[in-house]
Amino acid sequence: MYLNRFVNGEGKYVDDIKFDNMLYMSIVRSPYAHAKIKKVKGGLNSSELKAYYTGMDHAMREPVLAIDEVNYVGQCVAAVFSENRYESEDLLNSVEVDYEPLDAVSSIDDALKKPAIHDGMKDNILDTEDVGNKFNEKDIDYDIKVSDTLFMDRISANPIETRGIIADYKDNVLHIYASSQSIHRLKGGIMKTLNLKDGEIVVHHVDTGGAFGLKALIFPEYIIAAYASMKYKKPVKWIETRSEHLQAAHAGRGVKADITLYAKKDGKINGLDGTVYLDTGAYFTDDDLVDLGNAMHEVTGPYFIENAHLTGKYVLTNKALNGYYRGAGKPEASRIMERMIDLLADKLKMDIADIRIKNATEKPFKSPLGFDINYPTKPLLEAALKHFDYYNLSKKEKLGISLFILDEDTAPGESCRIIVKNGKVTVYFGGDVSGQGHELFVQEMLSEEFKIDKDLISLDYDDTNTLKDGTGTWGSRSAITHGSVLMKTAEIIKNDVIKKFGKYDKDLLLNNEFNEYYYYKIDYNANSVNFNMVSCNVNDMNSIKIYTYYDLGKVLNLKNVLGSIHGGGLQALGEALSETLRYDEDGQLITNNIADAGLLTADKIPQYNIKIVENNSEFPDKAKGIGESTMIGIPSALARSIELQTGKRVTKFPIDDLSLFNKCME
Amino acid sequence: MMVNIKVNGREYKKDIEPRMLLVSFLRDELNLTGTHIGCDTSNCGACTVLMDGKSVKSCTVLAAQANNHEITTIESSDPKLDVIKQSFVEENGLQCGFCTPGMIMQTFYILENSEDADEEYIKKNLRGNLCRCTGYKSIIDSVKKAEERVKGEINVSK
Ligand code: FES
Ligand code: FES
Repeated sequence: MYLNRFVNGEGKYVDDIKFDNMLYMSIVRSPYAHAKIKKVKGGLNSSELKAYYTGMDHAMREPVLAIDEVNYVGQCVAAVFSENRYESEDLLNSVEVDYEPLDAVSSIDDALKKPAIHDGMKDNILDTEDVGNKFNEKDIDYDIKVSDTLFMDRISANPIETRGIIADYKDNVLHIYASSQSIHRLKGGIMKTLNLKDGEIVVHHVDTGGAFGLKALIFPEYIIAAYASMKYKKPVKWIETRSEHLQAAHAGRGVKADITLYAKKDGKINGLDGTVYLDTGAYFTDDDLVDLGNAMHEVTGPYFIENAHLTGKYVLTNKALNGYYRGAGKPEASRIMERMIDLLADKLKMDIADIRIKNATEKPFKSPLGFDINYPTKPLLEAALKHFDYYNLSKKEKLGISLFILDEDTAPGESCRIIVKNGKVTVYFGGDVSGQGHELFVQEMLSEEFKIDKDLISLDYDDTNTLKDGTGTWGSRSAITHGSVLMKTAEIIKNDVIKKFGKYDKDLLLNNEFNEYYYYKIDYNANSVNFNMVSCNVNDMNSIKIYTYYDLGKVLNLKNVLGSIHGGGLQALGEALSETLRYDEDGQLITNNIADAGLLTADKIPQYNIKIVENNSEFPDKAKGIGESTMIGIPSALARSIELQTGKRVTKFPIDDLSLFNKCME
Repeated sequence: MMVNIKVNGREYKKDIEPRMLLVSFLRDELNLTGTHIGCDTSNCGACTVLMDGKSVKSCTVLAAQANNHEITTIESSDPKLDVIKQSFVEENGLQCGFCTPGMIMQTFYILENSEDADEEYIKKNLRGNLCRCTGYKSIIDSVKKAEERVKGEINVSK
């Protein structure tokens, strides 16, 4: 059981693994946000390893090691290796790099004004994309229009375990040990970049000390370590320092939006138009498409708005690359809508709940932006308001609310293997758990299904041989995907027992050997309707109260659910109030440690009022998602509660106002 | 240089570089990998251990400074530490487990050094330990449960 291993210091995280003759890798990184490289001498550099690591072959992708120029502070320029961890850091000084600094672009606004940072481009817009149907305001019937600009600054994922990898090339096979949300995706990425064939690489999952979206990605350092292991024929370990993490780990959010809503006097919204910008950082990565895609397609969320159109712009800056962070565009989309609908309510002097009821729906619908909503949204909103006695409570407390859709990334499904041997049941998932405690629900579900003791069941690490395919843990999917494939595989095992012995009982199971693999396919993304409410007193950090009304379908394990709400709840407060990465005009990172990055500490925890409703989903385990809900629902509701007290409309995140909450952010 | 450091009751004599940090000594020299590293600026507390009973961030202490001192880590089998560990398991005071050894050692320190640690006191004394997964609520519940148990045992033995 992971809990027992971890409390005894018996976790096996990547930095805990040691091999004979192992080399430690350190990276020479750019100290400049933008510069020409006139010379690099020493270390492993791009004169030897010239490669690109993105999935898509895009003209503006990042080289694994900088070629002729650097475009952000922390970009990989060269790598050095030593059998001693301390010495490998000493060796950083042995690499000579001559830079010629250039002007840098350090924000979306800067990028829109300044000349292109990349040669051959006319400006800093990497790409533009339209969703929905462009409409002319003359053609729609409205009484009022409201416009505003919203901004959500960048956030670093900051799992307490940083990024890390061991590459061990032996007997013509590259073995990778990584802290990861998806070893299958990692395998694919390394194969593509280094031109390896199936059979030449095996990726092993190890304990992962938190991930939050980031560890679903592939990084230049991973490719460098893999290449070096093949070159030196030795194991190579790279463990990121926190300082490197803040500089170079792909960062989330970084979204700005100019939005206009068109509405009738009664609050019915019938038009939404605007532009959403994503700070992509210095180069293209595949995750840009997901982040901005979600941030645009999901904006209208739980409300049916007949005319909706958005333009998306991918904006290059001299900063580390964009990446996934818990929610990946979904919190941005919802925050845009929820902040705009509050503005409209104020303009119309309507209650913020009434205006939401007016625009929520009685039926499932497809939004003009292309988002398929599977459930009616009004019933849940009304039930939540009633449950918390909103209309009375709002006379006493400064309440902000948020109604949202949780888009669950269930496609393309998930794989599982169950092995029964020596009286024990071992489960492997193709989608790698990254520290959320999935073993709890695995034990709960299987003990019920197999009628056996929980202690006989464990969730083990997989590698890309144990399971030939698999997806990952992200996008609020695993309650559905992992839970469902677990049930399906368990059914197959039970049938095996029945086929062999004519009936099922637990002793027949445990006294024999079984081994089954199953891939449960899902060809669409499911979603669910959820609600948050927040109140606070802006003079007291501990006064923040988070009300949660989530439809989780069938709850697989209550500890998992509460862990997700409490953990995500504090993360959401951090995102709203203090977490970010700060850069100066020259693109130098000013946030230089994890405390500066604004993570909240134990003395800042809020109060919770949690209501879970269980309207079963259509999946075998009847569950719905949860992982990203707090990040979507809480920040905008908190913003509302704050602005009701300060009288200053909140359009920027983190709110970052030192007069709030007794200077809690200092 | 030679150092003699007692870790979890056992003496270790080792020839080390003077610049070696205590956390590296524990992890790399002794293979006690339960003590983790979460930052390079002494902000996260993942590396918390006890030195002569006081909680220290082992990434800010040189192994040389621990010479002739006594270190307690998460791998220790002290019975009181076991009570704390059990409380963390029961209250689900962890998810990914990476901050956990530091949290548990800090808890050990808190419970050894205060008669009556109320919730405020616990929160204040956990401020130096960051957790990204749990939102601290279940950690605080774990500490409270451990405290009740430890107190209960003292009362019984009295
Ligand atoms: S490793 Fe972060 S405080 Fe020691
Ligand atoms: S349990 Fe993951 S950092 Fe605390």
